[in-house]
Amino acid sequence: MIVGSSGSGKSTLLNMIGLLDHPSGGKIFIDGTDTTTLSDDRISSFRNTKLGFIFQFSNLLADLSVLENVLLPRQIGGTDGTAEKDAIGLLDTVGLRTQLHKRANKISGGQAQRVAIARGLINKPSIVLADEPTGNLDSVTSETIVQLMKSMAKKLNQTFIIVTHDRQHFGDVDRVITIKDGKAFEGDQPSSKMEVLV
Amino acid sequence: MDYRIKLAKRMLFNQKGSMIGAVLAVTIGILVIHVNFVIFQGLYDAIVRDISEYSTGDVIVTDEFDFIDKSDQSLVRWFERIPVVEAATPRLSSTAEMNMTKNGKLIEESRIPLVGIDPFNDVRASTAHETVSDGSYVFSRNSIVLGSNVARDLGGAQVGDNVKVLVVDRQGEDQIRRFIVTGIADSPGGSGFDYSGVIHIDTLRDMMNRPGDTGSFMVKLYDDSKALEVKEFFLRSFPNEDFIAETTEEASEAQLEGFRSGIAMINIIGYFGMMASAFAIVTIQMMLVNGKTREIGVMRSIGAKRKDILIIFIFQGMIIGAIGAGVGTAAGLGYTVYAKESKMSFNGSLVLEVNYNWEKIIQTALMSFILAIIASLYPSYRATKLLPVEAMRSV
Repeated sequence: MIVGSSGSGKSTLLNMIGLLDHPSGGKIFIDGTDTTTLSDDRISSFRNTKLGFIFQFSNLLADLSVLENVLLPRQIGGTDGTAEKDAIGLLDTVGLRTQLHKRANKISGGQAQRVAIARGLINKPSIVLADEPTGNLDSVTSETIVQLMKSMAKKLNQTFIIVTHDRQHFGDVDRVITIKDGKAFEGDQPSSKMEVLV
Repeated sequence: MDYRIKLAKRMLFNQKGSMIGAVLAVTIGILVIHVNFVIFQGLYDAIVRDISEYSTGDVIVTDEFDFIDKSDQSLVRWFERIPVVEAATPRLSSTAEMNMTKNGKLIEESRIPLVGIDPFNDVRASTAHETVSDGSYVFSRNSIVLGSNVARDLGGAQVGDNVKVLVVDRQGEDQIRRFIVTGIADSPGGSGFDYSGVIHIDTLRDMMNRPGDTGSFMVKLYDDSKALEVKEFFLRSFPNEDFIAETTEEASEAQLEGFRSGIAMINIIGYFGMMASAFAIVTIQMMLVNGKTREIGVMRSIGAKRKDILIIFIFQGMIIGAIGAGVGTAAGLGYTVYAKESKMSFNGSLVLEVNYNWEKIIQTALMSFILAIIASLYPSYRATKLLPVEAMRSV
């Protein structure tokens, strides 16, 4: 989990890890690959196969149905025969089995975020990057989403990197990194005694 | 179905206003070209048709230096032995002075074109007789058909009136004959005998003192596309004569040349209209791209390559082009059918000769389809240049 106050650079860090933004200096290694040297097409493939994204605003494509939104990353990568079965399975896990063919703009914010989680997981990525995934939801729905992500992480043995300014919501997590003044610290609260990571 | 095609369709059809606008731009571009073609090519073809039907036939034969002195009946029979020839007829032309007394007043007109026709063959090779709106066509040696303008200039000559006609013969002597007006010719567009007098060819030969001479032969074909073949066959068959054989368009070159330039100009204006629709498509597609910036960012973030985004928006251009070309062609064909079936004319002038030029119809549809794709290239390229993180900030 990456925490920090607004404007501390959490989302920028996540965008760098997600290869959505280019660093002005330095290198980014994912799975041992220096991603700063990759071509645009390779970066796209990398995003598609190694990374999953969950955004603050679910960012579903309104022109597609719930199922089509979940299928999209698999189709972009070149679909296989199990794509639809996998997508339906994931939507079943997130509790949206009955909403498969609904247009993405016809479901609630909480449902949309659950679809976004399923979309982020469809390609079985190495890392799922979640940028303020509950930032746009009420507290009850936020709790549901947090529990869902935790259970998915456990069930699928999936790494999530979550950016949030609301640490309390997520309870116990494996690791917390705090961003402050452009520096990353291990742990919940930055102090001079903590290890500076960046 | 490929997800890019599905997305392109959905994105476009969910933006109905933009889609209808873009399709209308293509449709109107095509329609302008069709309307231009129907009117101006129709006018041109109508003029060629009238020249062919009233004056030249599909092939006209004259003598390079003088009158044709070969027997007219033998030449008519020679032509009519060719399977594609429907009929042939001799004609002779001169100018005349005419006068008639109307309501006790003598009215004289000079330099009136006078045409001698063979009543039997002329009605088979020409439709000039159909322009006689009052009375009947020339049927005897002393009957004359006056063009509507000649009749008017003679103080309102009517069927049954007597007209005195003066022709100067080959010796320079005045030859005067009296004729009975048997008909008044009035053609839509005025390319018939509206400004002439028409009499029996033998009478004119007598008056001109040119027994057996003929000015020209009009040859009418079953299939006018064989005109060149018939002309060449004729010239090959009479190598030692001074004959000139010409197709309608060759014979009327001077008359048609200016009109052809006009049509070319109008076509250029039509194609400029099509270019304007292409710019409209660029604008509308830019709006579509701007409206889908966030979606483009999301797609890029989940792995779509630049070329995938390019394909989506180019495919939208193809959809716009295909629907626009289809609707535009259908609307253009509808207008063409209407113009043909209603025998469209303007202010009672000549009836447009409307033809279905499939080559032109397909060419126009294809051109607008291709233009729509070309017009979508720049917006599509712009879409690929969006950075995912920047694009997703757009709301």
